[in-house]
Amino acid sequence: MALTGRAGLIALAGAVLVVLAPQPGLVFALLLGLLAVLIGVDLALAGSVRALRFQRQGDNALRLGDSAEVTLLVENPGTRRVRGRLRDAWAPSVRATPREQPVDVPPGERRRIVFRLSPLRRGDHQAVAVTVRAFGPLGIAARQGSHQVPWSVRVLPPFLSRRHLPSRLAKLRELDGRHPALVRGQGTEFDSLREYVAGDDVRSIDWRATARRHDVVVRTWRPERDRRVLIVLDTGRTSAGRVGVDPTSGDPTGWPRLDWSMDAALLLAALAAKAGDRVDFLAHDRAVRAWVSGASRTETLSALVNAMAPLEAELVEADAPGMVAAVLTRARRRCLVVLLTDLNAAALEEGLLPVLPQLSARHQVLVAAVADPRVAELTAGRDGAEQVYDAAAAEKLRGERRRITARLRRHGVEVVDALPEDAAPALADAYLALKAAGRL
Amino acid sequence: MSVPTTPRIRDRWRTWRGVLGTLLLITAFAVLMVGVSTPRPGGYLDAEGTGPGGTRALAEILADQGVRVEQVRTLAEARSIATPDSLVVLARPEYLMDDDLLDRIDELPGDRLLIAPFATVLDELAPGVTEGSYEEIHSREPGCGMREAVQAGNARMGGSYYQVTGPDARCYGGTLIRFRPNGRTTTIVGSGEFLTNGRLIEDGNAALAVNLVGTRTHVTWFAPRIPLGNEPPATLEELLPEQLTWLVWTLIVAVGLIAIAQGRRLGPVVTEKLPVIVRAAETAEGRGRLYRARRARDRAGHALRAATLDRIVPRLGLAPGSAADTIVSAIAVRIGQDAGQIRSILYGPAPADDAQLVALARHLDTIERQVRDS
Repeated sequence: MALTGRAGLIALAGAVLVVLAPQPGLVFALLLGLLAVLIGVDLALAGSVRALRFQRQGDNALRLGDSAEVTLLVENPGTRRVRGRLRDAWAPSVRATPREQPVDVPPGERRRIVFRLSPLRRGDHQAVAVTVRAFGPLGIAARQGSHQVPWSVRVLPPFLSRRHLPSRLAKLRELDGRHPALVRGQGTEFDSLREYVAGDDVRSIDWRATARRHDVVVRTWRPERDRRVLIVLDTGRTSAGRVGVDPTSGDPTGWPRLDWSMDAALLLAALAAKAGDRVDFLAHDRAVRAWVSGASRTETLSALVNAMAPLEAELVEADAPGMVAAVLTRARRRCLVVLLTDLNAAALEEGLLPVLPQLSARHQVLVAAVADPRVAELTAGRDGAEQVYDAAAAEKLRGERRRITARLRRHGVEVVDALPEDAAPALADAYLALKAAGRL
Repeated sequence: MSVPTTPRIRDRWRTWRGVLGTLLLITAFAVLMVGVSTPRPGGYLDAEGTGPGGTRALAEILADQGVRVEQVRTLAEARSIATPDSLVVLARPEYLMDDDLLDRIDELPGDRLLIAPFATVLDELAPGVTEGSYEEIHSREPGCGMREAVQAGNARMGGSYYQVTGPDARCYGGTLIRFRPNGRTTTIVGSGEFLTNGRLIEDGNAALAVNLVGTRTHVTWFAPRIPLGNEPPATLEELLPEQLTWLVWTLIVAVGLIAIAQGRRLGPVVTEKLPVIVRAAETAEGRGRLYRARRARDRAGHALRAATLDRIVPRLGLAPGSAADTIVSAIAVRIGQDAGQIRSILYGPAPADDAQLVALARHLDTIERQVRDS
C-alpha cells in the first residue's frame, strides 16, 4: 500500500474547516472518517498488482561502455485497469534508466516498457525486482507490490585496443607475405616444393629434389603456424591498483591494472588467432579463476571475453608457484606463456622469480606489465622540496622496476613494460617480434 | 516468468498475529494489575483516599446508611450540589485563604462542619469563635451533654481549642463545639484525625464521625487539593480557542499522511558489492611522504642519483656497474665540464638541507640533458 500527496492535501483542506467550524472536534472526527473511507475505497478499486505477469526480452551481453535495452512485457490478466508507476530495480552501477516509468495496462492487455542499461562495471548483473504502484481511481491511495522477473546481463570487457588490430594485422601479413617466401628466414618453416620459374632465387633450388624429378625444383617457406599461446592473467592484489584514466567513464581515479591487462590480452588473442596460433587463457591468483582452452580460431575472442567478464581483482597475494604448476599441468607442449602481471619487485622476488626457471625451461615466457603514468609524472616534479621527495620515491620505484626487468631478462624472459594506453600495442608488437624471430 | 514477492495481507497477518496477540495480552495484564493493586490517590481527609489519612472508610459507612457523600474540589462544584438540607464539610480549610472565597462559601446553603479551621476561616464562617491554644491529640472524654458526643463516648480529639460565647455545646475540652448562629447548625472540630481511615476503628471515633457527618442525607465534602481563591490567571491552554487544539491535531494528521506518501519507496533498496579503489601510485606517493616526514635527504638523494646514473650509463656506452671514476671521466669528456664538479654531483655527500636536495635534483637534470643532447 502507498499514499499520494492528495491524502495529505485533503487533510490540509480539512484543517481550514476545523478552524471555521463551531465544533472542531466533530469536524476532526469526520475528517478522519472521510480519509479512512476514501483511502479504503481507492485501495479497493485499484488494479491488482499481484496478478500482473511479466516477461523480459532484450540484450544479454554488452561491452563495457555501451548500453543495452531490456524490454519488460507487462500483462494485466485482472479485471481492473492498472495505472501507476513501474520501477525495474538493478544494482546502482548498472544504471537502468529511466529509474521508473509510468505504466497503464487495461484489463487483459499487455504493454511493453523499455529500460536502457548503461553499466559502469564489468561482470554479470542480475535484475533484482520489478515494483509496480497501481493508483486507485481517486489517486489518493495505491497498491504496491514487487515481482521477481529474472534476467541477467553480462558486461564484457570493452576491448578498446581493437583499434590497433588492423595495423598489427598488416604487420602480420607483411611477415606472412601471403605468398610463400622463397627465402628461408627466421620464423619460417618448410612449406612445399614447386617448379623453378625464371626469376626465382637460385639459392632456393632444392638440388636433391631436382635430381629426382629431372626438373628444377625450388623450396618455398612460410611463417610458423599452429603455435600455442597461453595468456596467463594475474588477478591477485597487484592487479587491483588503478592506473591511468578510465577510458570508458573518464574516471580520473583510473582503471584497474586488471582491465588494462585484459585489453592487452584481447588484442594479443585476436592477433594470434588471425596468425593461425592456438590461444588458451588462464586467470589465477590463489586458485584458477578462469580457464579457456581449445576454442576454435573464430571463437577464441568471444570465449575469452566471456571468461574475462566476471573476473575481479582479489585482494590476496598471488600464488606464483600455484600459477606455474597450473600452467605446467595444462600446457604440455612448448608454448608462448604471456604472463600479465605487475613488475612489483617485492611480489615478484618472493613469488615468481624462484619458480620462473621451471617455466622458462619448457616454455617461452613473456611478462607484460602496465606502468603507472602517475609515477612518471612524479619523477618530473622539481618545484620545491616536497615534489623532489616524491620524485625520489618515484625514481626508487622505477629503479626497482628496472632491476626486476633486468633480472627477468637474464632468465630468458621477454618483458613488456608500457604505459596503459600503449600496453596492448606493445604486447602485440612483442608477439609479432617473437613470431618473426621464430621463437614461438 | 515473473513471481510476486510481496507477501499477501493474509500472510502478513499470519506473521504478525502472534506478536500482536502477545502485546495485547501483556497490556491487558498490566492494566489489570495496576487497577487492582495501586492505592487510590488522595491526600489527608480525602473522601476517595484509601491511605491511612483518607476518609474513604467513613464515606463507605455513610453510603451504607443511605447518606450520599459527594466530594468536590472547587467552589463552583460545591455550589452546584449544595442544598439547604445538605451538610457542607470543609475538610481542608487551610486551602481556603481568600476572603472573597470564604464569603462565597458562607453563602452555601445547609449545615456546616468545619474541620480544624483557623482564625481567618473562623472570622468569616463562625463569627464569635476564637481559636485558642494547641491541645495534644489523644483520647478524650466527651464531658458535655451533646447527644452525638455522649453516645460516641471517648474519641481521639485535640488540635485547636475553641472559645465561643454561649455555644450550644462544647465537648472534648473545647475541641468540638456546635452552635447555631443564624438557623444553621455549625459544628467545629479541632482535628480531623478521628475521621481518617487509620483512626476510625479506635475508641468511639467511628460513632462520633457518623453522628457528626451523617446528620443529613446528602453531604458535600469540600476537600480542595490545591489552594483556592485568589483565582490564578487563566493558563495558556484555557486562553487558546478550542479550534487551535484541533487544528494542531489536523495538521499532525496531514503531515503524517504526507510523510507516509513521500516516504514510501518504489521497490527495494538494491545493494552492491563495491570494488576496492586503490590508486597504484599510492605506494610511490606514500613513500614520498615518508621521506618528507623523516627528512630522508640521504635516501632521496641516493635514489635520484641512482636513477640518473641508470639512464646516463647506457648512453655513454658503458656497461652497467662501471666504476665511478670511469663514468665521471666519460661524462666530463662528453659534456666538457670539470670532472670534480660532476663527481660531487653524482657521488658527493648527501644534501644537508631541503634546498640542497632541490639543487641536487636540478643539477642531475642538467647533466642528464647535456649528456643526452651532446
